Amino acid sequence: MRKEDKVSKIGLIISREYSSRVKKTAFIVLTILVPVLIVGLMFLAMWLSIEEKKHVSVLVSDPRNLCDGRIFVGADEKNPPATFFFYEDYVDSAMFASRQDMQQYDVLITLNPTVITNKTITGIYREEPSAEAKDYIHDKIELRLEEYFAMDKGLSIDEYRKIRQRMKFVLKSFDDSKEKSIRDKAQMIGLAFSVFIFMFILVYAAQVMRGVIEEKTSRVVEIIVSSVKPFELMMGKIIAVGLVGLTQFLIWVVLISVLLIGLQSFVFKDIMTPENWQGINDQAAVIGEISTGMETATMRSEWAEVFFNFVNWPLLVTMFLIYFIGGYLLYGSLFAMIGSAVDSETDTQQLMLPVMMPLMFTYIVSIMIQGNPDGTTAVWLSQIPLSSPIIMLQRIAAGSVSIWELILSLVILTFSFIVTTYLAGKIYRVGILMYGKKTTWKELLKWMRQA
Amino acid sequence: MLRVEHIVKQYAGHRALDDISITTKKGEIFGLLGPNGAGKTSLIRIINQITGPDSGKVFLEGREIRRDDVAHIGYLPEERGLYKKMKVREQALYFARLKGLSKADAKKRLEYWFERFEITSWYDKKVEELSKGMAQKIQFIITVLHEPKLLILDEPFSGFDPINTDILRKEILQLKANGTSIMLSTHNMTSVEEICDSIALIDKAKLILNGSLKDVKAQYRTHTYAVQFKGMMFGFANSLWADYALEHSYQLDEEHAVAHVKLLKGNTLNNLLQTVMPVVEIQSVNEVMPTMNDIFIRAVKGEKGGQGE
Repeated sequence: MRKEDKVSKIGLIISREYSSRVKKTAFIVLTILVPVLIVGLMFLAMWLSIEEKKHVSVLVSDPRNLCDGRIFVGADEKNPPATFFFYEDYVDSAMFASRQDMQQYDVLITLNPTVITNKTITGIYREEPSAEAKDYIHDKIELRLEEYFAMDKGLSIDEYRKIRQRMKFVLKSFDDSKEKSIRDKAQMIGLAFSVFIFMFILVYAAQVMRGVIEEKTSRVVEIIVSSVKPFELMMGKIIAVGLVGLTQFLIWVVLISVLLIGLQSFVFKDIMTPENWQGINDQAAVIGEISTGMETATMRSEWAEVFFNFVNWPLLVTMFLIYFIGGYLLYGSLFAMIGSAVDSETDTQQLMLPVMMPLMFTYIVSIMIQGNPDGTTAVWLSQIPLSSPIIMLQRIAAGSVSIWELILSLVILTFSFIVTTYLAGKIYRVGILMYGKKTTWKELLKWMRQA
Repeated sequence: MLRVEHIVKQYAGHRALDDISITTKKGEIFGLLGPNGAGKTSLIRIINQITGPDSGKVFLEGREIRRDDVAHIGYLPEERGLYKKMKVREQALYFARLKGLSKADAKKRLEYWFERFEITSWYDKKVEELSKGMAQKIQFIITVLHEPKLLILDEPFSGFDPINTDILRKEILQLKANGTSIMLSTHNMTSVEEICDSIALIDKAKLILNGSLKDVKAQYRTHTYAVQFKGMMFGFANSLWADYALEHSYQLDEEHAVAHVKLLKGNTLNNLLQTVMPVVEIQSVNEVMPTMNDIFIRAVKGEKGGQGE
């Protein structure tokens, strides 16, 4: 057979399978409804986590009296997010945690003598202040210290600013067990992604299986394989259904992005003023300008901060696509094989068990490893091809995967789906023309050797 | 046209085809006969290259069959099947294009056939909306749309009512007249007698009968003649003696009767006539040829055909 013929025949099969699926009402409804639902849930999470922006009381422990009991506050500042109090002695974290007269303060900043050499301002908090408040505290203390350094060196503040380096600002919880941070929430999003890819692989692989069974029971298959090779038919179907999945996913990505941007610019306008967030990332920002943007923001939502700023969406979406393709091809060919071996969907159960087990197992493990994405279990399962799409995605979301781990897992996954597709093709060839037999795994293996 | 040589196909546990060799001529209708499970479908699938033989070869027009020859073969499987949710026109075009037809050609030919069968109103119907007979017609059109040189029809008449069976038979004969070689697998012996030029009979994976319909019938002739006469049956029977066997007889009316007489011991028809002429007035004599039905049953039961026995 000439090559272009072969390609165009698979192309024909793909285009028929694809268009018959994307024209279905169920597909169209789901494609539009799911993003609305997801964004709805995200909106709810953000809305419920909105809180009054708390005014933060900052206690500055300043044993060497560097600040001289003063913080430079701009004259035009209404509603500053933090107020500063000074204590001319050491306050350690135990005192801050337990002493009665310390309870009125939310944040403790300690200006050790090393603050000058280390260029690092450190502090602890009871309840994590908003990013905006953190910035404010950082800026004000740094400004005050700069004045001190400039005076110390006999320079004017402008002269000093030309040579200064931005100081680091490290703020930790005074109680480690209470470390409930944005990072945890990002990990939840990782879990959501792994649950999502699990369902996506399962749903689309099952669609391949149903398609194969439908062709077999309606006996269309015999006409088709009198024109094309069984393997071409199988691959055509697997590719087409995969493309339907990708189409749906990409539409979701676009719709969700549009809806989220809409939310950001209309509903959460107060919370999500972009200037706020530039301040976090742009360390070189001129300090004086930051404070002006802050006056408008009086509310915060931790979830909104996670959704709009912390999660690396492009990376997650790209990895989702790659691992979906790999995982889907692997499971899709296994499901096609099962579909070819049975006469009706009710007969699939016992054949499905060995295929569903690893998938379900991975799903459960993915919930268990939350919070420990670098444990031995997670690392191993992110390499084993039957589980890697789900586990790896979660680990990527937690930001703990090295590039070689990623490459190795993708190589193993690719190799596995090539082998699986080849073997499934052999069984499929025999299976689609076999009727009226209750098939067992033993028999499938026999077919594989026979074909 | 088609030559099958020493095909063997073994499935786990049983042998489906055991050293089958047959040859069909260009432009003839070849009947592939055999009881259920004899191996007909296995052979057809091998010719269609859906499965491969364990040993043996298939030749199409003198050279070994290749994968792209499927474009020249039309196949109507015994178990009919179409996509239920797909529209008739889309579906027919899809199958035609899978056989290598261009979209434009497929459209043109589809119009020709739909007009011929007067079913143009079905174009946009889904297959699930059609009756079984209607779907069968569509399936037949799909089978012949790419104008195959070799047409393989597995039980083409099953599921058709008498009117549609007749239409279908005429279409098959028309295709034959146009030069298409046809291989027909069927249980319907009447249709075999009516349209087949040659036959092969497969039973239990083995080829047990093969040749032109005329030769096969001759092979199984029993030298029985139907004699219609005016006179007494009693006298007719008495005159036969031991050289002939009276198979059965019936009265047409009070004076006329028909007797089926088998010639024994090398007697000829002339001998028979000489024997009975003095007793009755002969009106007609015909040789009673075995029906394909008889031949089928006798061959499968293991009786060999032979002259005079």
